[in-house]
Amino acid sequence: MDTMEYIDMFLDESREHLQAVNDHLLVLEKNPSEVSLVNEIFRSAHTLKGMAATMQFEDIASLTHQMENVLDLIRNEKLSVTTEVIDITFEAVESLEKMVEDISRDGTGKKDVSHLVSRLEQIEKGSSPETNNPAQKQPPSSASFDISLDEYQGTVVNQAKEQGYQAIQLNISLKEDCVLKAARVFMVFEVLEEAGEVIKAVPSVEELEQEEFDRNFSVILLTEEKKEVVLEKILKVSEVEEVTTASFTPAKEESENSEKTSNESESENESAEQSQQRSSKTIRVNLERIDGLMNLFEEMVIDRGRLEDLSQKIGNKDLSETVEHLARISQDMQGMMLTMRMVPVEQVFNRFPRMVRGLAKDLNKEIELEIIGAETELDRTVVDEIGDPLVHLIRNSIDHGIETPEKRKEQGKTEAGTLTLRAYHSGNSVFIEIEDDGAGINREKVMDKAIANGLLTRDRAEQLTKDKIENLIFSSGFSTAETVSDISGRGVGLDVVRSKIESLGGQIAVESEPGRGSKFSIQLPLTLSILSVLLVKVADEIYGVPLSSIEETVLLNKEHIKYIQKNPVMDFRGKVIPVVSLAEILNTPGNEAADSSVKPVVVVKKGEKMAGLVVDSFIGQKEVVLKSLGSYLQDIFAISGATILGDGGVSLIIDPNALIK
Amino acid sequence: MARVLVTDDAAFMRMQLKNILTGLGHEVVGEAENGKVSVELYEELRPDLVTMDITMPEMNGVEAVKEIKKIDDKAKIIMCSAMGQQGMVVEAIQSGAKDFIVKPFTPERIAEAVGKLF
Repeated sequence: MDTMEYIDMFLDESREHLQAVNDHLLVLEKNPSEVSLVNEIFRSAHTLKGMAATMQFEDIASLTHQMENVLDLIRNEKLSVTTEVIDITFEAVESLEKMVEDISRDGTGKKDVSHLVSRLEQIEKGSSPETNNPAQKQPPSSASFDISLDEYQGTVVNQAKEQGYQAIQLNISLKEDCVLKAARVFMVFEVLEEAGEVIKAVPSVEELEQEEFDRNFSVILLTEEKKEVVLEKILKVSEVEEVTTASFTPAKEESENSEKTSNESESENESAEQSQQRSSKTIRVNLERIDGLMNLFEEMVIDRGRLEDLSQKIGNKDLSETVEHLARISQDMQGMMLTMRMVPVEQVFNRFPRMVRGLAKDLNKEIELEIIGAETELDRTVVDEIGDPLVHLIRNSIDHGIETPEKRKEQGKTEAGTLTLRAYHSGNSVFIEIEDDGAGINREKVMDKAIANGLLTRDRAEQLTKDKIENLIFSSGFSTAETVSDISGRGVGLDVVRSKIESLGGQIAVESEPGRGSKFSIQLPLTLSILSVLLVKVADEIYGVPLSSIEETVLLNKEHIKYIQKNPVMDFRGKVIPVVSLAEILNTPGNEAADSSVKPVVVVKKGEKMAGLVVDSFIGQKEVVLKSLGSYLQDIFAISGATILGDGGVSLIIDPNALIK
Repeated sequence: MARVLVTDDAAFMRMQLKNILTGLGHEVVGEAENGKVSVELYEELRPDLVTMDITMPEMNGVEAVKEIKKIDDKAKIIMCSAMGQQGMVVEAIQSGAKDFIVKPFTPERIAEAVGKLF
């Protein structure tokens, strides 16, 4: 049986479970007595084990198996949660993550986990030497579930009782060596459904189908038949070890009680609850399919542009109404499709709590991590790419920014530093900020370093504003930490971060207050492939300038162009900005437009910096689909791609970021 | 004692099953190497029990269950599945198979499955 076709699903689910383990471990560390968390972790580890064994990733299976043994002791209160247990479990999860990632890169998923396994074994044995097989120690009947019914189910039970049915709670345990549990459960359900109606199952039917249970489950059955008859029928199914029954009365008090307990566990266990809810309301779609749909839609957008052109030319009222309607609908469709590709930035943020915890431990610092706006959504491709830069920035903040507890105390700060990770939407962009209350950026040091590295001369440096100095740290060959630690980079870091973010169409800036901390802000576009541009004409060619980087369009009188050191500049709202002729830069073929005295200028911005692009005329705003130029035409200066216009012509999209230095 | 028809494409598996079943006091009256042969032999031999592998050439086990059920609604069939064939097993049960066992087999497990049917 070829397991490879399941590999994507295996990877997705493994990651989800590892993340769940991570989350729960972090909470568990703070509330070591919370057994429900251990149960959650156990469940995830168990599922992982099952999946890995099926996929024949033996190292993952053996490690998760040993984790499971230790967790089982904890949840049966034979072992208490110690820092040692948490640490080793974190380590194990880390190894598991590495193996899973290795598999995702077509690796074998093999890793030497023997030391982890033996340490876990020690923990397991150390606590209770007689427990060699913890699964056996647990009597199956102990694991019956408390079942609570919601209002609707309660009514159903009461009505059924009035009609002479009885409600029976059945606690069923499968044999320990039972494989294909879901199929077994299916057979049990077949029997049950023949006898009556199952109105509730714990774990839920979905979970049972996914084998997300140990070997016990409970159901409430409405039936006319006698208990004994039902029991006998169930025991006829192979591999059923034991069935116990209890008649079920949904008394009011009981339901209130159970409501209370479920509420409590809800607040304690919120993230788990949420993820469960989410999984029941979503379907998994391969990203390729969505990309395929997006591609088709992009083709349609091109045709829409063409239709708009045609209907304008033909001038038929009915036609143009239809085309307008089509345009509106496709706009809505576009919005929906974009949201389909959107995933919460949480997916990236999730891995940071553990990372921060680990780093803080390594560096003997105390750090409180605060995450705000994890639900903010971003395009999947951006989310996939943004992880590494963020890791880098966070490491930076922890290593260089936040001081040691002693030093912080000296300066009258709280001993624990705060690191805030914030994400929010604004306009067509998403902002991600990383803020710390550490030492801030030492401007003197940055300046000295920049001069030493030849990025800047002494007299130029004197003239720079504080923002500019701070942003020097994004230049290549820069690191202000005196010693290179293995935590933050070796001086190749921040410029790589910057170019990565720019390649995603975003921007990064830093603000800092010495002694108070610093804040890195990243601005990212919501989506990458469809963008609004201003179409402009330069000689015979039509170019698109992304609206997101346009500050304003102006008509500039030729006399207002001044020269500084022979470079043309213009005055824009009290600022002197360079003037760039697109025709010259792009070597546009064709006739220069008549040398009129008034020139249309597009003022573009990149962060705080601006420039005026001289064009021949403005055409108008348009939604276009950005297509890459392909591998033959890579790295063309100031061009980020091309698009097909409504009339079938091709227009190049200007990358203003390249024009502003 | 039951008269059993063993179906599996691997001769090794048929031999193992035959040995176990014979050891349990049953009689193996026929062996089929795929679903199609199994259906034909069922018609001819009318055994009390069929063991049915799932993945086989010519006609797979699930198809064979459906065919045999057409011939004899009361046929008793036990599926022999490998790990990870949950979906197929469920389909076979829906089609009328009475039970399933998972490879590698143990005599106890087979005894249990057969015992529950008679």
